[in-house]
Amino acid sequence: MIHVKNLVKRYGELVALDHLSLDVREGEIFGLLGPNGSGKSTAINCILSLLSFDKGEVEIFGKTMAPDAYDLKRKIGVVMQNVAVFEELTVYENIDYFCGLYIRNREERRHLVEEAIHFVELDDFRKFYPKKLSGGLLRRLNIACGIAHKPKLIFLDEPTVAVDPQSRNKILEGIERLNEQGVTIVYTSHYMEEVEQICSRIVIMDKGRVIASGTKEELKAMITLGEKITVEVFSINEEQLSQLRTLPGIVSVEHIDRQLYIKSGKGSNNLEIVLDFLKKRQIGFGRIYSELPTLNDVFLEITGKQLRD
Amino acid sequence: MFRHVFVYRFKYLIRDRELVFWTFVFPVILASFFYMAFFNINKDEAFHPINVAVVYGGEEQYDAPFKAVIEDASKGKDKLFNLKDATSQSDAEQWLKKGRIAGYFTSGETVKLTIKDSELEQSIMKSFADQYRSSRLAVQRIAQDHPDSLKEELLKDIGNRGNYVKETAGGNSEPDSMLNYFYALIAMACFYGSFWGMKEVTDIQADISDRAARVNTAPVHKLLAFIAGSAAALVILFTEMLLLLAYLNFALHISFGNRAGLVILTALTGSVLGLSFGALISAIVKKGAGMKVAILTVATMIGSFLSGMMYMDMKYLIARYVPFLAWLNPVNLLTDAFYALYYYDSLSHYVRTMGMMCIFILLFCTGTYLIVRRRKYAGL
Repeated sequence: MIHVKNLVKRYGELVALDHLSLDVREGEIFGLLGPNGSGKSTAINCILSLLSFDKGEVEIFGKTMAPDAYDLKRKIGVVMQNVAVFEELTVYENIDYFCGLYIRNREERRHLVEEAIHFVELDDFRKFYPKKLSGGLLRRLNIACGIAHKPKLIFLDEPTVAVDPQSRNKILEGIERLNEQGVTIVYTSHYMEEVEQICSRIVIMDKGRVIASGTKEELKAMITLGEKITVEVFSINEEQLSQLRTLPGIVSVEHIDRQLYIKSGKGSNNLEIVLDFLKKRQIGFGRIYSELPTLNDVFLEITGKQLRD
Repeated sequence: MFRHVFVYRFKYLIRDRELVFWTFVFPVILASFFYMAFFNINKDEAFHPINVAVVYGGEEQYDAPFKAVIEDASKGKDKLFNLKDATSQSDAEQWLKKGRIAGYFTSGETVKLTIKDSELEQSIMKSFADQYRSSRLAVQRIAQDHPDSLKEELLKDIGNRGNYVKETAGGNSEPDSMLNYFYALIAMACFYGSFWGMKEVTDIQADISDRAARVNTAPVHKLLAFIAGSAAALVILFTEMLLLLAYLNFALHISFGNRAGLVILTALTGSVLGLSFGALISAIVKKGAGMKVAILTVATMIGSFLSGMMYMDMKYLIARYVPFLAWLNPVNLLTDAFYALYYYDSLSHYVRTMGMMCIFILLFCTGTYLIVRRRKYAGL
């Protein structure tokens, strides 16, 4: 559905997109994950023909994207990172205005606007002006303005920034429902949990480049980390710590404030080995947690830094 | 599509209370203050007949001619004096002490003037007395030296003062510098309309606002959206200008001459000029809305100041010492166009100022188009 090849965008000396290539397939929720400044929004704006770029090609629905490619634009919905609505228009009017830029027929538009209002659950706020809405409701209005015309492809650029958890969940549920209706979604975020939760395929970006791509399972399989084990220990000495580090499958061990942070490689009995070690040496322990690697761990292992750095 | 954008831009703009205040309510309030201030100035400056008294000496040969002259000067619409006949000098003295008269004449061989103060009214009385004395002396001499010449026509001529400067009027209307304050105010209001133009560009340039970026991703030609939005802004601004003109004309009785159609055309041209100016500044300045508003406000205020809105003599100083600046100041051009309609019968000056305004509109629109036509941006 979207084919981007060797996209290069420079701001003077700064390379914002460095030969970016990606493909988005029809019917998927495609996640663009990366820290702030990694080039996610720049990539979206280049794909949408808002930004000029130095090199590369962008095709959507098999056609080259251009500012006057109205037949393509008609099938695309965009939800900007910042709330882009009119303060002087009501919720209904805002959605109707943006929907009207795509749909000329008034009756059809009225129906679509009602549907969008219902979809984002703003039924009780249709006559409200944006300044009367909370941050979460405002974000939902922002989304409604971008999707009311029922596009086949939707770009959502960090739509949950500064949103309370309840509104965030509603937004994410809404995106999944849209996808179930057959809409292809390109979702950018620096929240790895969101991307993990809803995206079927993920591209991780850093410094304008794709550093990894695939499903979340594929991405996690790329790294050596298999499991993260946290154990509350009451007393452990340096010698015991050294012995622990030499156990099979153990990648690293850190002891901070009576907590043991153990990273192990892939394998099914890492936790068992650790517990066995502690029991044999009569090291008293309390709570134990075991976590599978996250996308942050993938990013950390590939780049050496945290996603939220 | 044009209709859809026009309707929503109209709703959006008309609900911007702050903008409506600055482009309509504020000029109306300012005009009311101008009116109150200038109405009193006019009232104070109007000439009022001077209260005077005459004490006759009882000699008919002297009293009769003076009585005839002063009674003549105390008659009619443009009379010089409110005349009170005093039966005695003590009556006149009493009136003078109580301030009921500005002074009194005593008729006799020499007309004497008695006054208490020395102000404008007394100066007028003195001029009157001096003129009477010199005219009477002239008649006496002619009577002595050339009695045959003493005919009625000659006596009439002696009483007249010749004026050797020929005054030509530009039109039927009286020159009134106060009107310029109100015309400059209308021009200022038109240029406050630049805020509307600024909004239109802000909402169409993707590198200025997120809303504009969203519009740019829609299947709408951005110039079509811009023209539809500008048309909505023009309808609002022009309506405001018509209401302002109506308020000035019907409530404050500010005259605009008798060419209503051309006055409306001028207001329309002024509205387009203001809008296009705001659009150009908004397109050029990439900083935030606050910076743009500041630039537009300062530019409008400087233009208004140079066209005499705060200090009337400034307009004449500019016209005298830096006349090209008067032609380069669009606020001044608009002020001049209104004044030309009011004062001149001929339309030549009006046509020149309107022509210059059209050139400005063309420049502003062309500049805006060259910037706005870009459809991909280097940075957002």
